[in-house]
Amino acid sequence: MLVSLVLSIPVLLLIAAGIVMTGGKSPHVTRAKVGAVPIGLAFLGAIGVLVLVSSEGPVTIRFYDPASVASFIIPIGFYVDRLSAVMLTLITGVSTVIYYYSTSYMFQDRHARRYLVLICLTDFVLICMVSSGNLMMLFLFWQILSYLLYLLAHNHVHPGTLAGAFKTFTLLRVADTAFLGGIAVSYQLYGTLEFQELFARAAARPMTLSILPGLEVSAATTVTFLLFIGAMGKSAQFPLHLWLPGSLFAPTPVHALLHAGIINAGGFLINRLAPLFGLSSTTLHIAFVIGTLTAVLGATMMLTQNDIKKTLGFSTIGQMGYMIMECGLGAFSLAVFHLIAHGLFKGTVFLNCGNVIHKARQEPHFPHTDHGDEKAGFSRLTWSTGFVTTLVIPLLILLVTHGVLRIPLLESHGTVIILFFIWITSSQAILTLTRLRTVASWKVSASMLLTLLFIVFVYLFAVESFTAFLYPNSEEVASYFKAADLADWLFDLIVVTAALMTIFGWTYLYMRAHGRTVRIPIWIESFRIRLYTVFLNRIYADELYKLIGSMTTQLIHRIDKLDRGWSR
Amino acid sequence: MTELLISGLFVGIPFLGALVCLASWSDTYRVRMSAISCPVISLALIVGFANRLPDAIDGLLPLYLLPIGAVVSALGQPVHQHHRLAWTMSLVFLGLGMGTLIGGHWFGPLCLITLILIVMVLLYRHHTTLWPISWWGIGSFGVGVAGVILSLVTEPPISSVTSLATCAVLLPLMPFHDGYLTALTRLPGSLPPFIVLLLPVLGLHRMATAMPTMPNEFVAIVSLLALGSSLYGAIKALAQSRVRLLLGYGSVSFFSILWWFVAGTHTATPRAAVLAGAVGLATGGLLIAWQVIRTRYGDDIDPQAISGLASAMPKYAVLLSLLGLAAMGIPPFGVFAGFMGLLLTAPPSSTIGLFIALAAWLAASWYIMQMVQQLLFGAYRADLRYADLRHPEFTSLLIVVLALLALGLAPTSLYSSKEIPDRTVAMERPVEWTR
Repeated sequence: MLVSLVLSIPVLLLIAAGIVMTGGKSPHVTRAKVGAVPIGLAFLGAIGVLVLVSSEGPVTIRFYDPASVASFIIPIGFYVDRLSAVMLTLITGVSTVIYYYSTSYMFQDRHARRYLVLICLTDFVLICMVSSGNLMMLFLFWQILSYLLYLLAHNHVHPGTLAGAFKTFTLLRVADTAFLGGIAVSYQLYGTLEFQELFARAAARPMTLSILPGLEVSAATTVTFLLFIGAMGKSAQFPLHLWLPGSLFAPTPVHALLHAGIINAGGFLINRLAPLFGLSSTTLHIAFVIGTLTAVLGATMMLTQNDIKKTLGFSTIGQMGYMIMECGLGAFSLAVFHLIAHGLFKGTVFLNCGNVIHKARQEPHFPHTDHGDEKAGFSRLTWSTGFVTTLVIPLLILLVTHGVLRIPLLESHGTVIILFFIWITSSQAILTLTRLRTVASWKVSASMLLTLLFIVFVYLFAVESFTAFLYPNSEEVASYFKAADLADWLFDLIVVTAALMTIFGWTYLYMRAHGRTVRIPIWIESFRIRLYTVFLNRIYADELYKLIGSMTTQLIHRIDKLDRGWSR
Repeated sequence: MTELLISGLFVGIPFLGALVCLASWSDTYRVRMSAISCPVISLALIVGFANRLPDAIDGLLPLYLLPIGAVVSALGQPVHQHHRLAWTMSLVFLGLGMGTLIGGHWFGPLCLITLILIVMVLLYRHHTTLWPISWWGIGSFGVGVAGVILSLVTEPPISSVTSLATCAVLLPLMPFHDGYLTALTRLPGSLPPFIVLLLPVLGLHRMATAMPTMPNEFVAIVSLLALGSSLYGAIKALAQSRVRLLLGYGSVSFFSILWWFVAGTHTATPRAAVLAGAVGLATGGLLIAWQVIRTRYGDDIDPQAISGLASAMPKYAVLLSLLGLAAMGIPPFGVFAGFMGLLLTAPPSSTIGLFIALAAWLAASWYIMQMVQQLLFGAYRADLRYADLRHPEFTSLLIVVLALLALGLAPTSLYSSKEIPDRTVAMERPVEWTR
């Protein structure tokens, strides 16, 4: 029953593609609508798989002999555990909505049929990827996904779209190559690409590799680092994030799928290989640094963009950074929870952003940005709410986490850093509310406070339950946190910096709201303005990419000219 | 006796076909039919009787691939009296190629010498203002012939070294790659798509016998040359604006990666044959696809002048995209399978080498993708006359795609009766990766 259900999900997605692809042109609208039925059934199947896997345990289906994985180069097999089942449900659920939405959204497009087929095929590839039985199959679909992202740009006549699609493909290939290197090294070292065997052998045989003379690195670090670069590409981590803003010319539903499903591939990969990543503190620390950097840069760039799609794009980059940072802190299940929540949220927002753009084109005064009629002034209520939410609630969270949920905070650097990071980001969001003037009534403040409390508590309890669901063995969870522990001085520095930043931000805004002059040196003010310009221009990363590209091309042509005298 | 008879059949049928071509020279259709049907008969015979032949080190795959290459190259060429020579010569090359693969100690090298000499004569006779005569290329083939002769009259290790020089000409390795590039760009009609498969496959076959007896010091030099050559091929391919040179240098890069793996393991396994065959087939397929463009828009067309074929020529677009994917090493095609198979089973001799090989593999995503994108996408041009694939062209490209798919999905045991030794051993102690 479970096996048939697992196999039926990708088959149903292929059937959907077949329905749209076959037949003449005339009744294609009807066929497009009918195509949604198999996708919906796949979603129901995924729910069934989730229920069955939760009660019966993971299922393994192999169409090959694991002993001869290298002679059968592409070993097709499925391994569905709770993590895969959750991903299956998320992807098929989001896909059903996106596909149905697309049938109307792309109604008058000349190539709507090709587009819908590609959506079905992308879903198929995603499903096969998250339920892969071994690293090789995962990589196979991982690569196909890179190419599908190129095709999904859709409007290949438009030069901007084409350039973005090419950039997407090439940058993802860079990451794919590192992934391939990781696979090769792991097979050379451990002799298998089967997940469970790989984890067992890696744990049983700690090894060191001499990468360069005098440079010895643990085998687990080498393998996980290369695989992590693969994850960085798909999850748009700095500096491989450039493809995501570049792909924004694609149709809106593609973004919904991209931001709700495809971009989560990196987080999924790290979770799928969690026991392997748990063996390398170095890789986890690198993930923490890269994730934090991406989160900070992504969020900052998001705040300075003036285009709705770019704003959402950089918001996703920031969130993905957050997710990778969570992985780097050993909170693997939290990252999965995060990617689900973010996927659902961002998918919805993207599906709606097309309407906003359309409305803005029709109504010159939309969206309303003019607040000139609002009275400027100091609202005690708003500030009290801000005080409570930024300074009191964090204390409550710490107490609840420590006392009620019995999470040993003092023994887990990762949890504390995540809580402090939540504090700093939520404070940033909450302090923005103080800019509201006339809407700062008690109703608004109360509803904000209650919503915030509700979300925080639900989030904490839900995450805790979700962790228990995904990783029933609590010792395993603790070992990941332990592996991700930072040096004490670094941990203290992060905590103190987070606290100081929040308190400083709060004080600064409070003083300004009271009309008091905050003395800031001129050079800081001018630096702030320059920084704004830099982030508005997305830290000139696109220009740098172009510069590197043109320099490389020049170099290549010089080498080519040098060789022309005797070659051929 | 049976073996001899079967070998005679394998070699004789293409020559018989070539004779039929000569006999019906005035009838262009019959010449073409002969150029197509003889390789098909050869393939059927190989499928039926290959298991009775002694298994070669590099497996039986080359035997299967050569007739397929001959068929698709003939199919991809439109019917015209100018192409009769190319069709006839492809049958002669097929016969000589078969002879090299299954011939014994003397007959095999003799066939190879004849083949190279014919190529040299063709290169001497066929050149245009666009592709002038290349003495470097012809000279390179001369080195190949000298290598075969010396390997026959000397003892190892000199015979192995000279034999390897021939291999470097056939399975292109810098600085002996000029012959291969010249053949790919200058040979007439349907010969280039066939020759890019034939020469490397024959080169690998010779390498399979020569490599195990090579001195270690020499193998280390070959490894270094291979890495340099793979980067050189990739860089040159990135700089090309002419499609045939781009494909030529691109394949040199991939073949050099193959050299590196083979040098690392001292042997050419059937997996190496998968990579050689797949790269040859993919390059041949792309050359046929480019031939389709040349047929429609002229021999000296600049690829930059064409765009937007995807919407006007959908069949062509789909097949070219698939061929492009195969050529840049994306699964589930043969190039990926061959590359991956070698990567997993042949322990890399150095970390830096592994990363250079990966970089060369990655570079293909740029130059091939750029070429495919240039042709298929971009603005639709009203001044161009778009005509999608004709049936023979479609069949030819489809066969290449399906063959590449089969190479990617089929287990290696299908074309090698020998048990493939799995060289990968999970290491029990810390390993030293730098040499």
